Amino acid sequence: MTDDTDPTTAPLARDEVTADSPFTLPGFFAALDDGDLFAAVCEDCGKRLIPPRPACYACGGRNLRAEPQPNTGAVVSYTEVRTPPSALADRAPYTVAIVELDSGARLTGRVTVSYAEVDIGMPVRLVVRPPDDDEREMALSYEVEWPIHEFEPA
Amino acid sequence: MPDPRVAAVGTSPLGRTELTGRDLFSAAVAEAFADGPDPAEVVDAVYVGNQSESYEHQIMHGTLLAEWCGLRHVPAERVEGCAAAGALALRHAVEDVRSGRRDAVLACGVEKMTAGGTAGATNALSAAFDRALEQRTGVTAPSQYALLAQRYLHDTDATERDLARIAVKNHANGAANPRAQFQRETDVETVLDSDYVAPPLKLFDCAPVTDGSAVVLVATEEVAAQFGGGEVRIAGVGAGANNIGVADRDLTFVEGAHEAATTAYDEAGVTPADIDVAEVHDAFTSCEAMLAEAAGFAPRGRGYESALSPAERSDGWTDTHLSTSGGLKARGHPIGATGIAQAVEVYEQLTGTATPERQVDGATAGLLINEGGVADAVTVAHVLTT
Repeated sequence: MTDDTDPTTAPLARDEVTADSPFTLPGFFAALDDGDLFAAVCEDCGKRLIPPRPACYACGGRNLRAEPQPNTGAVVSYTEVRTPPSALADRAPYTVAIVELDSGARLTGRVTVSYAEVDIGMPVRLVVRPPDDDEREMALSYEVEWPIHEFEPA
Repeated sequence: MPDPRVAAVGTSPLGRTELTGRDLFSAAVAEAFADGPDPAEVVDAVYVGNQSESYEHQIMHGTLLAEWCGLRHVPAERVEGCAAAGALALRHAVEDVRSGRRDAVLACGVEKMTAGGTAGATNALSAAFDRALEQRTGVTAPSQYALLAQRYLHDTDATERDLARIAVKNHANGAANPRAQFQRETDVETVLDSDYVAPPLKLFDCAPVTDGSAVVLVATEEVAAQFGGGEVRIAGVGAGANNIGVADRDLTFVEGAHEAATTAYDEAGVTPADIDVAEVHDAFTSCEAMLAEAAGFAPRGRGYESALSPAERSDGWTDTHLSTSGGLKARGHPIGATGIAQAVEVYEQLTGTATPERQVDGATAGLLINEGGVADAVTVAHVLTT
């Protein structure tokens, strides 16, 4: 990355695609570990994309900017995983939800409370923590230190 | 432009079996080529829909299956798109024949899902979700579709009982289909009493884990005539990828399926009202409801009435019969083979060779919708006509 490159604008040159850019997964998760959940905001159509990527599938634009997102939002839909992937067998059942952050960006994550305690529209807060042993177990080599994001009731 | 025809079809037994993937393929080929030339005499290329190498630790399905039906030095490759792999293979065959480059292309699908038990299938299917956020959250195929179903039930008048009726209807159709994995009926109370897998979806809302293979030989009219067929045309194709993450989708309208079906209708010169039979991707009962709307058969928010007879449905519904095979729910869902199995059912309907209990009289046009990933991560639609 050259000195005049803004790391918060989408990489359009090959040299700008680096592991410390929030537009790559290593950079995205490093920022998340520091408490910043980044979305890419499309300067052309306004769509917010998590995780950030160099192009907007909604309008095709490549003029995007990385922006930290608010950590509060509301449940759009939710369910309970009763038959989990093997790696998370000891956690089941657990609640998962699609959450719309106050900015309008959406993402999927686990919810820290039981299915019965969740409803559509419920306010939630994003929390980030280091992976537990089972989550490290299911991680690929480069994912081992990537943090886990969850939602708790706000 | 050559006008691709269905020359021949075949399926293996569908369900739990001792046969491996290649053996299942052999069974499907045996049926398809029973009354025509050998594969080596006509087949110019092979496309194989296959979801995952994790079941049998086997890739190279193009080479393997071409070899297993006696072909050598022909283009042969695996096509991947999770549960849409079969229809993607079919689409490649259709485009090849349309191009004039090839006269007969074998579109196949194969999956040996029971190899790793429920855990094996759960883990293999999870690879279809975005690794960064979805997989690391621990979502599964049922829970991903449950996120859609939950919102659908929230936003429409549909109830879990309405979804149960779809399962009952599809089991009744499966009971009349000799190819079906579940050739037995069920009732609404049995569905409602089954355990939640990912609420609001219960075990009986879910398609099963299935071993199986299906093949369709797509060919010019001349080659199809060698098999005594050719009356069924593959008249329209639409395909498209939407985004991979479910969170960003329209949770209650399957946009990608709408786009793919519309393209297929336009190519075939038909409208939804012209479609007599449709095999939609009912991996879960809620999918059939939502795909009925996306395909233009039902008004928005009324797709859950698919289990009712045409006369009982809301105004704005077409008279289309959905999932006459039993659908993924009862015929079975051998992931990479499902899109091809859908074509087999519509072929039988359009040739009047379905069993009398499920035959739709006078059917002349059918739609296939095959989706991969979750809902419209990738969708393929085909229109077949006579």
